[in-house]
Amino acid sequence: MRKIWLIAQREYAQVVKKKSFIIGILLTPAMMAVFMLLPAWLANRSSSDTLQLAVIDQGGQGIGRRFAMSLDTIKLADNVTHYYKVTQVFEFSNNDTSRFRFLYDSLSGAVSARTIRYFLVVKPMAERAPSDSMFLVANNEDFKSIGRFETSLSNIVSSARLTESSINLPVDSVLKLTERIDLARRDTTGQAVDPQVRLFASFIIVMIIYMMILTYGQTVMRSVIDEKSSRIMEVMVSSVTPFQLMAGKLFGLGAAAFTQLAVWIVLGLLMLGVSGALSLHIDPSIMRVVFNPILVIFFSLFLLGGYLLFSTLFAVIGSVVNSDKEAQNFLFPIVMVLILPVILGMSIMQDPNSVMATTLSFIPFFSPTMMVMRIAVIAPTMTGVGGMTGILGQAILSFALLVLAIIGMIWLSARIFRVGILMYGKRPTLPEIIKWVKY
Amino acid sequence: MYLQLEHIRKQYDGKVAVEDLSLAVPKGSMYGIIGPNGAGKTTTIRMIMNIVPPDSGRVLLDGQPVGDNFKDRVGYLPEERGLYKKMTLAEVIVYMAELKGVSAARAKSAIDPWLTRMDLKDYRDRKVEELSKGMQQKLQFITTLVHEPEIIILDELFSGLDPLNTELMKNVLLDLKRAGKTILFSTHVMEQAEKLCDHLCMISRGQKVLDGRLSEVKAQFGRNAVQIEIEGDGSFIKSIPGVASVTEFTNYLELRLGNGGNPSGILKAIVEKVSVRRFEIVEPSLYDIFIEVAKVDRSELSKPKEGLHA
Repeated sequence: MRKIWLIAQREYAQVVKKKSFIIGILLTPAMMAVFMLLPAWLANRSSSDTLQLAVIDQGGQGIGRRFAMSLDTIKLADNVTHYYKVTQVFEFSNNDTSRFRFLYDSLSGAVSARTIRYFLVVKPMAERAPSDSMFLVANNEDFKSIGRFETSLSNIVSSARLTESSINLPVDSVLKLTERIDLARRDTTGQAVDPQVRLFASFIIVMIIYMMILTYGQTVMRSVIDEKSSRIMEVMVSSVTPFQLMAGKLFGLGAAAFTQLAVWIVLGLLMLGVSGALSLHIDPSIMRVVFNPILVIFFSLFLLGGYLLFSTLFAVIGSVVNSDKEAQNFLFPIVMVLILPVILGMSIMQDPNSVMATTLSFIPFFSPTMMVMRIAVIAPTMTGVGGMTGILGQAILSFALLVLAIIGMIWLSARIFRVGILMYGKRPTLPEIIKWVKY
Repeated sequence: MYLQLEHIRKQYDGKVAVEDLSLAVPKGSMYGIIGPNGAGKTTTIRMIMNIVPPDSGRVLLDGQPVGDNFKDRVGYLPEERGLYKKMTLAEVIVYMAELKGVSAARAKSAIDPWLTRMDLKDYRDRKVEELSKGMQQKLQFITTLVHEPEIIILDELFSGLDPLNTELMKNVLLDLKRAGKTILFSTHVMEQAEKLCDHLCMISRGQKVLDGRLSEVKAQFGRNAVQIEIEGDGSFIKSIPGVASVTEFTNYLELRLGNGGNPSGILKAIVEKVSVRRFEIVEPSLYDIFIEVAKVDRSELSKPKEGLHA
């Protein structure tokens, strides 16, 4: 045990002392912070200014004026300032092509120069065929504003059609009848959720597992290849058993992985504090996914188990190859196995209890990512523990299977490892490796 | 007997590397395993180290089968050598000693005496990768011995060493032997073995051909060799009656006398044709003995080279 500890200490120190480790540990969350906080911050900032726009109305029905009036009711966050300001509504006959040309060009110039954000063009018969006779000139896609413009124009066109028709009803009540609705989402705990945000949070969690396993699994592999190619291996196995060597590497590099994760968690909590201080809005759905106790527990367990399972596999690969280049051939299938939940993410989101998702989440090589993905989707919506058939029971069973697989893998790999580390030259074939197991 | 090998055998992919090998290494001896490249020396040593398990047979230490507990009692220098390049010399020494069960404090106290002895003191806190090849060899030698092992096993000890370092290490080994340590080494350079070992085992093609105390082995083969230095062409010598074989060395010839070979008669026959600078009756060299007992073709052996004399 003391020897495993000594090896683990050295491996840990070798990784943690490297500049790349320190850079990576700080750079990744910094980039994530930029990607997550910057858009929220920009969105908040941009809406502190009133957006200016103009209208060219050649329809003769007053659509432009009514459009400008409807936008007047939309206010900024302070509830006082107007969100939009229509600088001018140009109304003139459709026959006046030279004026249209002139206005169109000068307003386009204004949009390019950003003195106004948009201008709307309304042609005759807009109330009959709005898609053909109205368009918006803009250089950006502000979904929120465009959605508002569409709603406003739909209402105006609808009421115009109503007055033309013989239906004798107040315009407002008819508009109410035809109102489009957005279905709000609540889960069974009664909380409002945003499915996109939740999928995103689940992805991030699975990506952390994927990255950790792949990065540190490969570090284990490189460390074995290095010791093989620098011929330290034989000196080492004269002092320690191959099993002690492998275990020391797994623990030492695993500790480095968890150090990195711990720093990230601390930085993540700091980020939360900062975003709170800047009064930036972070969707509560994210909190409810990330801070779910079942997820936190099983995330840790499956990360640890997944790391042990895959890095044992990586150690074996390191022991049978002679160079990094040879090892690359083995990487692709491992990456595919690990990334599967991300590829299947949408369908898991739609039905986290589908036969495929459930089956894969019990197969040891898939379970570290697959089960955590399912827990991330299902756990926040749980009202009770759900017994052994619920996600908690499934997670416990799946983890037990993973532990069995790890024990089997360690037994198998220790046998291959002790032969492989002293083999140089030709890469062994599979039948040869099977023979090593029997030695 | 201290370290014993009983009928060990090892086969790789249908090729027998070591066949039915039995050895007895007495405590406190300097034991040489001698044989040409590919004879099975490294496989034998790896089986002693329990790095490669024998297909059959046992390795015993004090009558007990060796296991992993053996690792702490032995200092092993493999033929393939390597060290952690990014660590400093002091770190490497402490790490390797601790892996052998030595306490950190004791390991640290051993750094300076060893570095001083091996003439590496100025490099104490340098990284291993900054050392020359010869210096790395010396450091590797330190890491083999720093935990004061009772058995020292050295595979192809002198390969890649310059004469100065060879001398340095030989002296260290002789000191250790005087301190009662058991030293087992392998080499394919027989003259080195001859100068160093007191017991030996010759192996050829995976099999033992001869073993025992060096003095007994030599006595067994008698004083029937002659070394001569002559001026001129000595090619006629092998046709002199009573001369069994002639081995040419850089500066002299070694003759093996056959049955009825009479040294003075042969000397007479030689001085008739060329002038003789030196004529000496000597014990046969291990090289000659090996040729005789292993019945190998001379071409299988690398010829001894004067330059490698330690």
